[in-house]
Amino acid sequence: MFDDLKRICLEACVLMAFGALFGLTLNHRLVMDAFSGRLVPPQRPVLEENAPLTLPVPVLIEEVQQVLSSGGLVVDARSPELFAMGHIDGAVSLPIDEFDSALPQFLDHVPRDRIIITYCSGFGCPDSFDLGVRLIGSGYLDVRVFEGGYPEWRDAGLPVAGEGL
Amino acid sequence: MIRMQPVLYHLARLILAMVFVYAGAVKMQDVVAFAGHVAAYQILPYAANYLVASTLPYVEFLAGVMLLLNLRVRPALMTVGAMTVVFMVALVSVLLRGLEIDCGCFNPGGGQETTAGVALLRDIALLVLIIVAWWLRSRITALDSGRGTRNVESHR
Repeated sequence: MFDDLKRICLEACVLMAFGALFGLTLNHRLVMDAFSGRLVPPQRPVLEENAPLTLPVPVLIEEVQQVLSSGGLVVDARSPELFAMGHIDGAVSLPIDEFDSALPQFLDHVPRDRIIITYCSGFGCPDSFDLGVRLIGSGYLDVRVFEGGYPEWRDAGLPVAGEGL
Repeated sequence: MIRMQPVLYHLARLILAMVFVYAGAVKMQDVVAFAGHVAAYQILPYAANYLVASTLPYVEFLAGVMLLLNLRVRPALMTVGAMTVVFMVALVSVLLRGLEIDCGCFNPGGGQETTAGVALLRDIALLVLIIVAWWLRSRITALDSGRGTRNVESHR
């Protein structure tokens, strides 16, 4: 009975190993890109397909550089502390938690038709997306979101500002 | 009741096979989107989401195929059972942290959303089915081997 269970466990492990190996073989490029920081941002599933205008458009790191150099605004959704430690060079801080109090000033300084790209701490972090949705709700016409966020930017060796750790 | 057991066993086995073959196949179509779903759980570090996304669907699929073919059924049941338990732990942590995310269980392309609570109930049902299938499979194996020895003895 116990031997039986041991054999079943072993066979289950072999089964899992085969499955994992098969998947890794098919997707090795994606996994290697992910671990080396050369990431393709996963498309956040758009749940409301009939309302595309209310959602920010995901963009790749190259587009962030283009928009930055052509007069667009990059907005950091993270906390002021994280912003102070390090942020994309040229970005302004608009923490999602302080959105309501900081919005009037933001509206005064940033014209509605300026291109805005939001970011936060990478794919695990929903704040940049939420901030984008709120900015669209506040009247901004072209809001995009850089889902790779600060980690991808920093790991790509692009210019950052801040006092460091 | 005894006569019903093989019927029940095959029913449970086939339901589980279909669920996991479908779950695996649908996620294989778009591994990157599935990685986004895994990332939404906010459990794993940055790149590990991709590692999970590029292995898990294939394990699900393979285990489902084994169940479908009625081969190595208990190892396959153990595999899907272990995965279901891991999913449940992840879903409970999502509920505790109050995250509002799609479970990403079946449909990486969007479509209708399944909340963590619903997904958790579904996983409980799956786990019950897995345990039932395991128990019946064990009984059938025991019965078969029992009959085998009796036959050997009668031949002597």
